[in-house]
Amino acid sequence: MSAIQLTSKTINGQSVAYLTFDLPNEKVNKLSTPVMLELRTHLENLKSSNHKMIVFQSAKPKIFIAGADIEEIKNLKTKEDVQNAVKNGQSIFNLIEDMPMPTMALINGACAGGGCELILACDYRIATEDSSTRIGLPETQLGILPGFGGCVRLPRVVGLQAALDVILAGKLLNAKKAHKIGLVDNVVHPNLLENFAVDQIGKILADGAQKRRKKFQPRGPVGKLLEGVLSGVVFKKAKDGVLKATKGHYPAPLAALEVIRKTHGSVDRERSLKIERDHFVDCAVTDVSKNLIHVFYLTEMVKKQTGVANQSVKGKPVKHIGVLGAGTMGGGIAYVAADKGIDVRVKDISLDANAKALKHARDLWNKLTKKRVIDSYQFTQKMSLVSTTVDFSGFKNIDVTIEAIVEDMNIKKKVIAQTAAEMRPDAIVVTNTSSLSVTEMSAGHPKPENFAGMHFFSPVHKMPLVEVIRSPKSSDETIATVFELAKKMGKMPVVVKDGPGFLVNRLLLPYMAEAAFLLSEGMDIEKVDKSFVYEFGMPMGPFELMDSVGLDVCLKVLKIFKAAFPDRVEIPSLMEKLETNKSRLGQKSGLGFYKYDEGGRKTEVDGAIYSELGLAAPTNPLSLQECTERCVFAMVNECALALDADRIVETPHEVDLAMIMGTGFPPFRGGLLKYADSVGAKYIADQLTKYSAERNANRLRPSVKLAERATSNLKFYN
Amino acid sequence: MSSSAKTARDVVIVDGVRTPFAKAGTKLKSVHAAQLGQVALRELIARTNLNVELVDEVIVGNTGSPSDAVNISRVVALNSGIPIKTSAVTVHRNCASALESISSGFERIKSGTMDIIVAGGTENMSQMPLIMPVAITSIIERLGSAKTSGAKISALWAWLMADLKQIKEMATTAPLAKTKYKPIIALADGLTDPFVGMNMGMTAEVIAKEFGITRREQDEYALKSHQKAIAAKAKIKEEMTPLYLPPDFNETLTDDIGPRDNQTMEALQKLKPFFDKVTGSITAGNSCPITDGAAMMLLMSREKAESLGYKPIARIRGYGYAGLEPERMGMGPAYSTPIALKRAGLTMKEMGRVELNEAFAAQVLANQKAFDSDDFGKKLGLPGKIGELRTEILNVNGGAIAYGHPVGATGTRLVLTLMKEMKRSQTQFGLATLCIGGGQGGSLIIENEG
Repeated sequence: MSAIQLTSKTINGQSVAYLTFDLPNEKVNKLSTPVMLELRTHLENLKSSNHKMIVFQSAKPKIFIAGADIEEIKNLKTKEDVQNAVKNGQSIFNLIEDMPMPTMALINGACAGGGCELILACDYRIATEDSSTRIGLPETQLGILPGFGGCVRLPRVVGLQAALDVILAGKLLNAKKAHKIGLVDNVVHPNLLENFAVDQIGKILADGAQKRRKKFQPRGPVGKLLEGVLSGVVFKKAKDGVLKATKGHYPAPLAALEVIRKTHGSVDRERSLKIERDHFVDCAVTDVSKNLIHVFYLTEMVKKQTGVANQSVKGKPVKHIGVLGAGTMGGGIAYVAADKGIDVRVKDISLDANAKALKHARDLWNKLTKKRVIDSYQFTQKMSLVSTTVDFSGFKNIDVTIEAIVEDMNIKKKVIAQTAAEMRPDAIVVTNTSSLSVTEMSAGHPKPENFAGMHFFSPVHKMPLVEVIRSPKSSDETIATVFELAKKMGKMPVVVKDGPGFLVNRLLLPYMAEAAFLLSEGMDIEKVDKSFVYEFGMPMGPFELMDSVGLDVCLKVLKIFKAAFPDRVEIPSLMEKLETNKSRLGQKSGLGFYKYDEGGRKTEVDGAIYSELGLAAPTNPLSLQECTERCVFAMVNECALALDADRIVETPHEVDLAMIMGTGFPPFRGGLLKYADSVGAKYIADQLTKYSAERNANRLRPSVKLAERATSNLKFYN
Repeated sequence: MSSSAKTARDVVIVDGVRTPFAKAGTKLKSVHAAQLGQVALRELIARTNLNVELVDEVIVGNTGSPSDAVNISRVVALNSGIPIKTSAVTVHRNCASALESISSGFERIKSGTMDIIVAGGTENMSQMPLIMPVAITSIIERLGSAKTSGAKISALWAWLMADLKQIKEMATTAPLAKTKYKPIIALADGLTDPFVGMNMGMTAEVIAKEFGITRREQDEYALKSHQKAIAAKAKIKEEMTPLYLPPDFNETLTDDIGPRDNQTMEALQKLKPFFDKVTGSITAGNSCPITDGAAMMLLMSREKAESLGYKPIARIRGYGYAGLEPERMGMGPAYSTPIALKRAGLTMKEMGRVELNEAFAAQVLANQKAFDSDDFGKKLGLPGKIGELRTEILNVNGGAIAYGHPVGATGTRLVLTLMKEMKRSQTQFGLATLCIGGGQGGSLIIENEG
């Protein structure tokens, strides 16, 4: 079966060829090698045909062309393979550009990557205003760059500044924005697309069927300067922006920037495309690219999952949710839900507490309004979805209540029982606990099958992960409902088994504790944190992380861990010392390892902390390599047990997704276990053995499961 | 007692909620009327755990018609989570707009057309606009259609001159005086009878003089209204939901702003007559304040309420509206009540509680006289007097002089307060009635089922 149909239509007495993309047995159109081959054949034939124009369109309802086949990119091993594949693609798109007759693309639905590069090679572009129409070049998100001429043609069509915005951020544009920057010529309603195109084609034919090489015309003298002689300023600014955002860990945006800088304004197409191709090849074979593609697959995996093995189980519809507790977490959860159109009822014990949740949500939407992400009408709509109460009024209408009150088992059990009594018998209650046993808590619910954990990460509006904690009694329907709800709230859910710290906190705690040991051994707080951020690629170092979690919370959870795993958990004595200073609780009290201003922004390390803990000024006796390895390998060590012994989650994929989405573990490393595989279990076990001996640290001894993997040389990913 | 048998098509009130009321220009001045309505309706839906999919229609009273929410009922409905499919209509019968929402809902349910109606009212009198007079809008129109730059400059110049004249008029004429260039105060226009050109306060002066109501009687009545309202604070809270004050939510309004626990006769007596400065007796103290607020109520057919497991608080027995001379509009209740009583098959004697809106103390007292007068009754074509309106059952928790009168919402407030009070005091029948600017009266009779 062919993926591209050739038909023709007579417009104003002249023949126009239509190439319609419709990949058989697939939801989307992809530019895989066979499709590209078919396209080439069509183009070769059409070149010498009598058709006066060629139109590209898609038969898929919400997809134009989603891009290249990522699976193919992933499987390209050698530089030669990549070089050939890209060269082939470039030459096909050159064919489009060089067609003797004008070409036009009709875009309805996703038009990304190679799809966008295809339309850039056309003379005319018409898009529909449908919300599914998203056009752009997301390649840098996958660690590569537009390689089928996108880096060369986009700046020509939309200008340097707009092109850099699109390529470097890798974000897709809606039709309105695409039209604004000149990426498409017209935007019409999907129902009008076909006829509107016929009208336009009629006009083009009447004007003599001219080819058109659209060239961006800057507006105003400043625009002209920035696109011309002062383009260096634009490149410099763009480079600074990329470096600030990526801290140098992501080569692709920089490579794309380099391609554009070298080719901008050049008329030598072959030379330009060669530059693009060479940089593409360099990026495509890097581990960073392979890892980012891996992460992309992880997120796609969640989209398809339902949270339960039995695919016939469907979640219940959730229109109204309740939130118990209007604190930081409760307020954040209310915001995220209402932002996605879910009706939220927040319950706390006082009006003042409720007002804080309203203010929290309002402030976040206010920011979006100021940035013009939403308009004032959307602001009012979203705001009106959040209502509050101090009693249980309205809870009979609620499908799922998320409990986010104080972390106290007895209080939680009592409140869960109360809540269940106020809700419909089929309604679900979930707890947002970060440290308590969901299984034990489920005893508070009269129907434990309607109870589970739903653990959000702080700040809720930024962290994509939600751990859906399954107690032995949670029903499949409950888990599927909560999993679907998390997705509806725009989050990435991962189903985990109940156990101390579930998955993410169980791994993070040894990491943070190890950092505290580093401090007591004479390391400088900022030096360690900076190394994690700039060298390893974490969004923040372990000390800043502890500040944001709350130093009291860290200690509390560590104690729970110590009770659960007494043989391997060691509480750093300085953490206990820290607890005595009640004003030093981390970011929330404005003082932790760092000082924070009133807006909660980090200012500087609090130098007084060393003496407060009875430490001498830091002498930094340890290498940064040791610091990083001890902290990160401690996580891997614990993870081996969580995955292999306790089966908290079933696959390394879930571990990596959770760590990336919940802690910001560097995506370019592909996740904790992808990283562990890249260094090898044996190396990790050896280093841990060494450190545990040198530093007299029993806690760092390789766990049974890590040791097993080390001896059998078994990777986490098979 | 004239209790009639319960029937499936009886119209019952399931519950009602209102926002706190605030004197115009104070706490609620920046809260849009649609938002006030939404706060009340969301809470009503929550308190009744209402399945919003079942609502047949939302009827909301409003008189100000904010220009950005002209069918404000629809705006309130959608922002409260009422489904897109559900129709919504705004009704306007001036001061009885919210009562109209209930009587309209009553008819729709009684007839069998609908089963579940949200009826309410909302008003933000603080936000009633200033309107540009024709003398200025005509210049702006000229500017808009000017083709040449000469014509544009000429229009701009004319505008500047008009503005200067406007400033001069503002400085030299009385604040409420209408002139050629001064902006028209929509609120003042609304409170002026469009048929006889008389301000509402002046119509109260007419009644006070005709019925011989003294200044002292009015002030004493006003004082009692405040005292009763203060004493009833805890009871009245039952009908309210807190209102978190946007935009910062730093403050939450949990009580009405109006009732004064420090109101005294001395203070009331010191006030100057506001409308008739020479021989008048109506002051700001013995009239209701201009107010912002909203109230919502859930009506159902008895059969629907029963099938959904609701226990209604009251049943609507009948209603009536009547017209009278616009310059005596305050006497409206005396005209509409006999009609409502007749339709309900009840008498004044059977009424255990009455809420009569306190637009002006003079008008309440004059109505009391009229209700008890054989002559007045005969004038209406009745065999004798309408029936005594006993002080002990009248506005037992105070009235609009203390709470305020958000014009488009008051009708619901009266029925809500009446219904909750009847439940507390276990009285069987009650009357909610009010005078209507433009020369009408409105009355609604309910029976306690709570």
